[in-house]
Amino acid sequence: MSTPDPFRLEVLRHALTGIAEEMSFVVMRSARSPLLREAGDLSSALTDAQGQLVAQGRDIPVHLGVMSFTVGAFLQRVPAERLRAGDVWFTNLPELGGNHLPDVKAIRPVFAEGRLLGFAVSLAHWADIGGAWPGSYLASATESVQEGLRLPPLRLFTADGPDEEKIAVLLSNVRGPAEREGDMLAQLAATATAERRLLDLCATHGAATIEAAMAALHDRSEAAMRAAIASLPQGVFEGEDFLDDDGPGGAPAGIRVRITIEGETAAFDFSATDDALAGPLNTTPYVTAAAVYYAMKAIAGPEIQPNGGCYRPLRVATRPGSLLDPPREKPLVGGNHETSQRLVDAIFRAFAEIIPERLSAGGSTTAGLLIFGGAGRDGAWKTLYEPHGGGEGARHDRPGRAATRVHLTNTNNTPAEIIEAEFPIRIERHALRPGSGGAGHHPGGAGTEREYHVLSPEMSLTTMFERRVIPPWGLAGGEAGAPFRCLLRRPDGTEEELRGKANLPVRAGERVILQTSGGGGYGPPD
Amino acid sequence: MTGWQVGIDIGGTFTDIVAARDAEFRTAKVPSRPADPVGSIFAALEAIGIAADGIDDLIHGTTRVTNAIVENKLEPVTLLATEGFEDIIEIGRQSRRELYRLDVPPKPAPLIPAARRVPVAERIAHDGSILRPLTATEATIDAALAAGTRSVAVMLLHSYANPEHELALAERLRGRVPYLSLSHQVNPEAREYERCVATVLNAAVMPLAAEYLARLRAELPGNARLHVMHSAGGMASPEAAAERPLLMALSGPAAGVAAAAAVARETGEAALLSFDMGGTTTDVALILEGRAEITVDARLADQPLRQPMVAIESIGAGGGSIVRHGPAGLSVGPQSAGAEPGPACYGRGGTSPTVCDANAILGYLNPRRRLGGTITLDAGRAAAAFAPLAEQLGLPVVELALGVLRVADATMARALNKITVERGVDGRGATLLAFGGMGPMHATGLAATYGITRVLVPHASSAFSALGCVAAEMSYTRQRTLRLPGEGFDAARLAAARAALLDELSAPLLAQGVAQEAIAAEETGLIRYRGQSYAVDVPLSGAMDGAGLGSAFEARHRALFGFASGEAWEMIGLRLRVAAPRSLALAPPAPEPAPPRPFATDPCWFAPGAPLPTPRYERAALAPPHRLVGPAIIEDDWSTILVPPGWSATARPGGHILLLREDA
Repeated sequence: MSTPDPFRLEVLRHALTGIAEEMSFVVMRSARSPLLREAGDLSSALTDAQGQLVAQGRDIPVHLGVMSFTVGAFLQRVPAERLRAGDVWFTNLPELGGNHLPDVKAIRPVFAEGRLLGFAVSLAHWADIGGAWPGSYLASATESVQEGLRLPPLRLFTADGPDEEKIAVLLSNVRGPAEREGDMLAQLAATATAERRLLDLCATHGAATIEAAMAALHDRSEAAMRAAIASLPQGVFEGEDFLDDDGPGGAPAGIRVRITIEGETAAFDFSATDDALAGPLNTTPYVTAAAVYYAMKAIAGPEIQPNGGCYRPLRVATRPGSLLDPPREKPLVGGNHETSQRLVDAIFRAFAEIIPERLSAGGSTTAGLLIFGGAGRDGAWKTLYEPHGGGEGARHDRPGRAATRVHLTNTNNTPAEIIEAEFPIRIERHALRPGSGGAGHHPGGAGTEREYHVLSPEMSLTTMFERRVIPPWGLAGGEAGAPFRCLLRRPDGTEEELRGKANLPVRAGERVILQTSGGGGYGPPD
Repeated sequence: MTGWQVGIDIGGTFTDIVAARDAEFRTAKVPSRPADPVGSIFAALEAIGIAADGIDDLIHGTTRVTNAIVENKLEPVTLLATEGFEDIIEIGRQSRRELYRLDVPPKPAPLIPAARRVPVAERIAHDGSILRPLTATEATIDAALAAGTRSVAVMLLHSYANPEHELALAERLRGRVPYLSLSHQVNPEAREYERCVATVLNAAVMPLAAEYLARLRAELPGNARLHVMHSAGGMASPEAAAERPLLMALSGPAAGVAAAAAVARETGEAALLSFDMGGTTTDVALILEGRAEITVDARLADQPLRQPMVAIESIGAGGGSIVRHGPAGLSVGPQSAGAEPGPACYGRGGTSPTVCDANAILGYLNPRRRLGGTITLDAGRAAAAFAPLAEQLGLPVVELALGVLRVADATMARALNKITVERGVDGRGATLLAFGGMGPMHATGLAATYGITRVLVPHASSAFSALGCVAAEMSYTRQRTLRLPGEGFDAARLAAARAALLDELSAPLLAQGVAQEAIAAEETGLIRYRGQSYAVDVPLSGAMDGAGLGSAFEARHRALFGFASGEAWEMIGLRLRVAAPRSLALAPPAPEPAPPRPFATDPCWFAPGAPLPTPRYERAALAPPHRLVGPAIIEDDWSTILVPPGWSATARPGGHILLLREDA
């Protein structure tokens, strides 16, 4: 196996990245649920035969970080000898290189010239994966099984076609089975496209060259990341931040990191983080690593090609029994986008004193999620899964922008005109939230306000957001942004503030008003 | 005697002109005068010796609207929006452009500052019913006028379902502001942010476009009919273009694609990939059966346009693109040396290594020929610009230059991939149609990278957009929202909508003297499974019933995404294109039939090792059935056609040159 020349390497890098981007396009265009087609809560990746990530789409950083573990863990459960061309396996187990149950990964092994070349992985957030509450976010969950269907690797498709019985079991245990089936087929189509493209590449360049290129791309990203780490101040830095609560309630939970930058390597030790929580804000070591990967790329090497090699110089340690490495029966649906973002906050705060110019102040680091479930205008049961952006934290050279997604997430909002056409909901208002950005030499970006007016007799509502108690932090003397706030206004004019993690029925005439957090400011106000 | 049909494309650096009358054909390229576009037109006319009063039709492709948007030189606009939704223009879709970069703002600055967003007390539901009548209209109008802008945009929620309130506001505003843009007219489709941006952008370029077109109209003799190239690759009247200038956002590139479509119809190529490589960008488009693919999802400067446009994929790699070695490896573009100082080999002070310099180092560019009569190429400066990078990589300069071309090809191949994948087509069976300043030199390299074996370099390849202005059909395209479920398909409603659209779109053609029977209509149904967001374009042939449409949709869905599920579907829109074909004899005068002789032979590098002696031919000396075998170079004052070893070049009727891969 000879290393391809540097130019062929570029040709293959472009081709592999293009395939991953094409996969996301296929899912978004052919999927059924608004969460995928409008919000874009999906990601695509290619890995080598060992499961190391080789190329990724321009998707969601937390997914991409987690997917660098998914195939490796999958291969420990399903040995490569069992894999056949045409297989597509589906899994969502958090302990198997996963994050939370709704993120279902479709894994297709790709064979070329008689051997396993690599895998195409399509991750899609299913708008429902079963469990106790529509949308599969149970605020009061105390066990993983309450959060929905747990799928160990299941071969749902082979070269001979779909395995109807297994698919029937799966679709019998989720809400909106027709929509779920459409989303599943979209994932299948994406991996099929990737396989076709990879085989075309092999026909042109030969499988051995592709394998050598994958290895060379890993090595190059590793070297670039080592150089980027070496450019950081050396030493040991500690940071912490807090979750508002553990889900059902309770005190804020601490995330603590001790970072050691030593030569060309960086170690992130989260051992001092609080113990596993009773509620669904726990997360997995894979999500923890995804947060570290994101933070280090953003701080030290935004231009480095993200792949398995990029992360080799990074060490991530979590303490078993902590909320980042909980016993497997613990619930964790919210940890994926709440705790993960708090990890980035903790890492940024560790660096706040020494390299503030490379950072941004605290932003709206939460999914800011509202999930409505019920009959759609066409009568079919469906969920509106709506993540809400807020203000971006300010930087040393500019104010934060209003109404955006920061760090590990990058989902779109759903247009009011689409929501109103498909759901018995009217959007009464979608506006900026004045004065919500933290003051500073450069102020933080403003959050938003959106008002949902329920029109059908009853729908289910889930809230899953953070930064309601502890607001986004200011940097270098800047002030904090305004915290999240969610109000339920009844037809009689009475109001109730909702908690950040809640499940409740909402009824015709009631309005849910979500105000999202502003970003923190940078530098003392002038 | 009939007058001239004149096509003019004003680009950033050059203005191209093509004129045809009966069998006569003239073309030229003159430097653009950025401050005086009308002057550029008259200078171009002078260059080919045509007086303005000899013109029958002048068809104009312009980058004025494009540049205003890209360079953010926009007229201030006041926005009237449904109360509670004034900030949508700033909120957008809330996602960010770059995943890992904190230094760049996550999204562009809002097009309209908060102080010029005026709330309108009203509300319409998704089905068009009125939830809150329009009230306090005078106060709203006063607030809008108080902002003091010449141009006003109106974006009310669900106005595509019921335009009543937008029209009522327009009635009060007309005569009180010179420029008005209504969202249900600019983009009659759901998704408030995208529709708002399109409406505001349209308003922001209206004054510029209207004044420019009025000036041009005033300076042209009355007998010359003026037309503007629109982004869907057809012609619009100046009046229509002034009302909806956003239609001209891709006017220039669309003209090139229109010319490519004309060549496809002339030569009978079933699948053509147009490849327009210029100084800073490369545009590619797919042409099937003589028709360019149309999309409404195009963006410009990160802003959605939502207009029917030729589906062009643009990538920031061109002749002036700078070669860089960064943490992700070797890259080409998007930074460009531009026209000034230009590539190092232009000798105008550029020192960064560029793609054009790689071509100079390899000997492809003729050092004795003045590019466009003005620029002399200096391979020595190119080599000097490459030397530091070559040293860093430990490679000879020639090997680096060969490698850079491969990287450029890989970058451009991604654009080809995108444009074909999104249409469910395997591009390798297509013919690559190469034009623009750099296209003919890079075409075989790109073709080889992508797996294409046929390349066509068309007649007038360096003034191809201007040619497109002359060769384009007179056509108008419009899209209408419909909601027709597949079960119990209401074919009568489809027919009625079609008839209304046909009348509307035919009117300007009939007004220009086109006979009714010469007008061809082409319908596309926008169909999706219930629950999908994005519809699939399904060509409708004649009157189709529900069953026929359903199976055509499923076949198309399978071709695009690899599966069809047999579920309930709905038709959400109808797109109609009407066209009046134009017949023009564009064949250039036949050259001498003598076999071509090279006017020089120079060493050119095609692989590391040693250069090959490569003969150079004048393009004008080639005529059918002349055939050359690579290595060879065919050139004129504006471009260089590279025929590498393993390829042949054959002169074809119509002035085209066909390059074929012989070793495939």
